[in-house]
Amino acid sequence: MEIKRIEGRKVAGLAALLQPVDELWYSGEWDEGIFTHTAAVVGSRRMTQYGQRVVEKLVPQLVSGGVTVISGMMYGVDQAAHRACMECGGRTVAVLGFGLKWPGISTNDLRFMDEIVKKGGLVVSEWENQPGTLWTFPMRDRIMAALAQEIYVVEAAAKSGSLITAEWGVKLGRKVWAVPGPVTSKVSEGTNRLIADGKAQMWLPQQQISLSLKDRDTNNAEIYAMLQNETLGIDDLARKLKRPVEELGAKLSLLVLSGEIIEKEGKYFLGSGNWVKR
Amino acid sequence: MLVKVRSVANVGLVALPVTVEVDVAEQGFPGFTIVGLAGKAVEEARERVKTAINNSGMDFPPKKITVNLAPADLPKDGGAYDLPMAVGILAASGQIQDSRFMIHDSIYYGELSLDGDLRATKGVLLVGLFARSISPSNPPLTAETRAEGEKVRGGNLKGVLPEIFVPIESANEAAVVEGISVFPVRNLKELVDHLNEVSVIKSLGYLVIEDLVEDERVEYDLAEVAGQEQAKRALTIAAAGGHNLVMWGPPGTGKTMLARAMPGILPPLLPAEALEVTRVYSVAGLLQPGESLVRRRPFRSPHHGVSAAGMIGGGSNPLPGEVSLAHLGVLFLDEMAEFPRSVLEGLRQPMEDGQVQIVRAAAHVSYPASFTLVAAVNPCPCGFLGHPRRECRCSELAIRKYRGRMSGPILDRIDLHVQVPAVEVEKLSNAPSGPPVTAKTRAGGEKVRGGRGSYDGSGDVRKKVIAARKIQEGRFKSDGIFINSQMKNRQVRKYCPLNGETERILRLAVEKWDLSARAYFKLIKVARTIADLGGEKDILPVHMAEALQYRQMG
Repeated sequence: MEIKRIEGRKVAGLAALLQPVDELWYSGEWDEGIFTHTAAVVGSRRMTQYGQRVVEKLVPQLVSGGVTVISGMMYGVDQAAHRACMECGGRTVAVLGFGLKWPGISTNDLRFMDEIVKKGGLVVSEWENQPGTLWTFPMRDRIMAALAQEIYVVEAAAKSGSLITAEWGVKLGRKVWAVPGPVTSKVSEGTNRLIADGKAQMWLPQQQISLSLKDRDTNNAEIYAMLQNETLGIDDLARKLKRPVEELGAKLSLLVLSGEIIEKEGKYFLGSGNWVKR
Repeated sequence: MLVKVRSVANVGLVALPVTVEVDVAEQGFPGFTIVGLAGKAVEEARERVKTAINNSGMDFPPKKITVNLAPADLPKDGGAYDLPMAVGILAASGQIQDSRFMIHDSIYYGELSLDGDLRATKGVLLVGLFARSISPSNPPLTAETRAEGEKVRGGNLKGVLPEIFVPIESANEAAVVEGISVFPVRNLKELVDHLNEVSVIKSLGYLVIEDLVEDERVEYDLAEVAGQEQAKRALTIAAAGGHNLVMWGPPGTGKTMLARAMPGILPPLLPAEALEVTRVYSVAGLLQPGESLVRRRPFRSPHHGVSAAGMIGGGSNPLPGEVSLAHLGVLFLDEMAEFPRSVLEGLRQPMEDGQVQIVRAAAHVSYPASFTLVAAVNPCPCGFLGHPRRECRCSELAIRKYRGRMSGPILDRIDLHVQVPAVEVEKLSNAPSGPPVTAKTRAGGEKVRGGRGSYDGSGDVRKKVIAARKIQEGRFKSDGIFINSQMKNRQVRKYCPLNGETERILRLAVEKWDLSARAYFKLIKVARTIADLGGEKDILPVHMAEALQYRQMG
């Protein structure tokens, strides 16, 4: 992977930082256009099903609005955001908390970086060889906040690094959104707190227009209707629709194959094709 | 005086003839020597035999006694040689009238207690089968031979059938073998009186296997598990086609109960199968005293601390391991990822061949091990990944390591993968008929108990399974296999032609999920079983689509 260098002051957004970024190392094709509309999507490493669903709802909306998704490439919400962005054809920027040439980068991460670059995105870092350590990640957060015009926090625990990104965003005057979560969930404590303290605006999904079911197999209409508002496992569906699992299983397989619905860890939800784009 | 008594050594599932030669010499210093590769337990027989004879009111001759266990190169262990030695010593010292061939022709097998009683001894079924195999003409038992036998000696069929003398508690094991006379011996004194014709031990009547193999009540019914309809369906498919199954899900969702219900939906054991299972259990010494035949399909659930030898079988004189004890039944691995890798790797051969070869210095044995594997796996080390309410505390690395433990060879041999998600009790509007009464279900009161489970109970499922197995049997008549899971790729091509639409669905799936060639064939096999369950001759698109539900995840 080829690694190049650019001066920090040439990068839009970074100038606003009090602690200046002298240089930025990057991999991929540098294109100013990638930073025209940007949003950072950050969150917990311990993403729950809920977080996953939020990302899959939020990111396609951003991408269809021509927004570049910036994140930190940690596992959990960060990687899910990158991935969701690439899946719906968007370009994504990963800001690393360690040097691009640090030998400690795991092979999985290297593979992921390759994929981002291949799909037209960028992988950037303030450092060339700096190992990832306690202080590097909060430092990285300030770059993310500076590069992004909007910041979305999806799931963050009470002491999450994502909150640091949000703080930087507030300082830099960026628009900060937090996704509300269940008050019983630890990984939503931070986001809910951001909203409660008025540091972030509450993000709610766009109102979806009811599906037009005319051109669809009417037999499947009830499945769509069920999945409209919640994600369900096959057993729940079978019980609610009063259908035998074997019949329903066959149907769900076909719907998943055609991309109408998506299956993750045994739960089904509507595919992005069924969300109305803005 | 020299006396030869016949006995048997069990090596694996094979019984080999052993001659116990006893010499009581008039001259020489009194003593008791045993030769012939005798193990520790056989060496110690000296004290048991001596004391038992004395305590039975007979005399242990104060002479030079030499016992030879022939053949000399076959290792012998266990207490079963106590009885032939005692009989030999008593005959050689004139306390049993050696006027009859019976001592030389009958087989004696059993462990003595110090008071002269016989103790339950393992492997008696094998002794019976051995006696049957050496019977000179191996006569088919007809009404005439039986009648003739009765004439010679009140009901004992002497001279017509091979006779075995075994401990009373284990005698029922051998009674299922046709064409031999089994004498249940309570103690040494009784046997000596019988041989001296002072009194008579009545031989056991032949127990007809077909009468014993009856439909036993199922221990665990599918209906007892709340919800989990898809998992139940997967179990049904697994039972019908003999497919191995893995259940993924957090703790407490019913994985273990589902697995325990599996034997109840498998077809009942055939008589020949029951005999095969009993052989293994007899050798392992796991039959209850007085038990004759294993009638239920075995369910084995070894803890994950099991050693490789415990799983596969082992010991210097190798005993069957869990895989063989699960023969023709279910081997359940709870928390499969917690099993040592070496143990899981050891499962490959039995899963492929249906038997295990165990090689040790003393012996080389092979045990049958044709089982259905049912495994339960937590989604991550803490178990709560993807749980609706609980949080997973595992790092990504830990999860990857955890899943990596059983990747590859074992998962490759598992056809069905099913999610067993956490059930939110309040969501079960129509819970099964007999749920455990907890505070929650009691609150739901009548509604819960009145509602019928949305999946059939074990009895109905078993009927479907039996029907599907019948179809498979018909199909594989000329192939030497019985169930879909045993199909090789060649047979898959022959018996599972796919029509255009079915093929298209499969191709789409292969592309979408990057499925391997092996996964491709597994899906076809599962689809074949689903079609058989539906009584369809051809694999229809719906069958393939349903099979996709059970593909390997991730």
